[in-house]
Amino acid sequence: MKRHLLILLTVAILVPSFAALVIGGAGMIQHKKAIEVVAQSYVKDLAQNVAGQIESGWEMGRGFARLERMMRVHRMNFDFSMPGWVAVVDSGGRLLVSTPGADILANLWRRELPVGTAVDIKSSEGEWFTLAAYPAGETGWFVIAAVSWNDLLGPMLAFNRWPLFVGITGFLGLLSVYALWRWLVSPLRSLESEVSVLKWGREVPEEDDPRAVFELRRLRQVLYQLALSAVERAKLMRRYVSDLVQVQEDERSRLAREIHDGPLQDVTALIQQLRLAASELQSGDPGTRLQFAEEGAVQAVRELRALCDELSPPWLDLGIEQALHELAGRLSRHLGLSVEVEAEGDLSLSRDVVLAFFRVVQEAVHNSARHGQAESVTIRLFREENSVALEITDTGKGFEGKVDVEALRVSGHRGLANMSERMSLVGGTLDIRSVPGGGTTIRCLVPTTSAFAGNDRPRRP
Amino acid sequence: MSIRIVLADDHPLTRVGIRDYLLKEADFELVGEASDGIEAGELIESKRPDVALLDIRMPGESGVSLARKIRSSVPGTAVMMLTSYDAQQYVLSSLRAGAKGFVLKTATPEELARAIRIVASGGLYLDSEVSRAMEGPAFSPENLSAREREVLLEAARGLSSKEIAGKLYISERTVQTHLGSIYDKLGAKNKTEAMLLALKYGVVSLEELLE
Repeated sequence: MKRHLLILLTVAILVPSFAALVIGGAGMIQHKKAIEVVAQSYVKDLAQNVAGQIESGWEMGRGFARLERMMRVHRMNFDFSMPGWVAVVDSGGRLLVSTPGADILANLWRRELPVGTAVDIKSSEGEWFTLAAYPAGETGWFVIAAVSWNDLLGPMLAFNRWPLFVGITGFLGLLSVYALWRWLVSPLRSLESEVSVLKWGREVPEEDDPRAVFELRRLRQVLYQLALSAVERAKLMRRYVSDLVQVQEDERSRLAREIHDGPLQDVTALIQQLRLAASELQSGDPGTRLQFAEEGAVQAVRELRALCDELSPPWLDLGIEQALHELAGRLSRHLGLSVEVEAEGDLSLSRDVVLAFFRVVQEAVHNSARHGQAESVTIRLFREENSVALEITDTGKGFEGKVDVEALRVSGHRGLANMSERMSLVGGTLDIRSVPGGGTTIRCLVPTTSAFAGNDRPRRP
Repeated sequence: MSIRIVLADDHPLTRVGIRDYLLKEADFELVGEASDGIEAGELIESKRPDVALLDIRMPGESGVSLARKIRSSVPGTAVMMLTSYDAQQYVLSSLRAGAKGFVLKTATPEELARAIRIVASGGLYLDSEVSRAMEGPAFSPENLSAREREVLLEAARGLSSKEIAGKLYISERTVQTHLGSIYDKLGAKNKTEAMLLALKYGVVSLEELLE
């Protein structure tokens, strides 16, 4: 079983309270029983004692006077310390003498009550008394002694609303559990659920939770600070990577331009001069050397163009739609598979996004051919509600399971990681879905806010 | 009657080569040379040549955007693109901008001369290197069926297979079958190449394809 904090807290609060309640209750019940026994023997002894005194006094002829004096002594005792009452009644039940407040005894005592033993009686008001009556010798009188439970047992025992006690304890216990839930468990849980799905380096948790206990608030603030610095670091890292990519792309396009404007033109001019030279030869036969030279130069032109394509094709400037068609044509010729493009027109994407899409498609189609043995690839470019979507779907063999881009990168397969990196650099996402035997789909989304031209960051001079 | 030509190219060496190519032909008259797009535009406006040979990548203004201007301002001049880059999309962009020809700078003097004559007489010329059928020069295209022509024209307008299927009331699969058959007949590997080859073989006209 899971040891949930809330369960532990509930048990920790309720078990000791109820244990205290039960132990205290048991003690009080014991105590009450003991007091009852004491009360019984007390009233019995008292009644017997007074009855004995009356009897002996009567015999000595002191009669009523002694009785009166005796009662005075008892009265003083009762007034100050002894709980209960003593009274002497005649056989008709009339009070002859009594300690103060003993009128109640006249109401309680009835002739039918057993004599010489203690009984528990309930008054008409519902109060409990322990009472004992003793006959006082030959006089025909009875000595009645009684104590009230209320006086004797004390407030704790007198309090007999035990269920209420349990109820209040239980209620207070639940109240504490609720307080702990609200200030401790629930904030802890929300912190846990927030942190568990937190994209480290991209998101930060809430900075403060006013409901939580102080320690939890501190913990949250510390986590917030940590997450914040991770975001900062990730930002720096992305900027660094982005700069690297930017520099690389700039360098590539500079090189491509250099090749295009320099060697490519020079060799082209060379070919022209070779052809002119050949045509001006008197013999009319261009000669094998000139022909070889021309063939070599033509080959050089093709290679230079291919090199430009490899680095940064100049036709990227035509816009994404044309660039995708051109790339598709070239890849399909080069890799021997069918590459179809379905591109929505009039998408004047920013140069960074064009470049990112271009590199992703390049990599993806190569992967489809190399790893998927796909026969056809479809590239779709379309606008969605808040983004521009690029989808590359192949009919290759697909693969099982989820793609862990980072794991692939670590194991040296940087292609997918680079694709994903490219997309994140232009603020987009890349998602790969594949079914074994059912082909692979790579889906890139770039939010409209960063996709279109005019949102370009300033280019390097 | 000679063919009056303006040549615009920012690379002096290749410009010299092309000029020498042109000078070999007795009926060609080189009426002006420009080394950037703006100069070329002014030259063409003033000289009103029969043919303008424009490099695509030029400082000032690119050949494609210049071609678009010339189409409306000097409709009598036939623009032919002259480039060192064999991108099929360059060809399409040029044709969409109103160019009537597309030749690589590595073309032979004979091919260039033939191209200029075809373009000057109102024809369309595409360099063999950018619209090369896989089967080689001996390849002769079969005729496209009426349906295939329709599918090709819609594809050329940039419609996807699904959209073509919807427009022509046929299934997407049928569209794919038509496209496959078009590729086979023209010896093309993809849509763009099919379009270029269809133009080259005269299977469809430039106006049909690009409007």
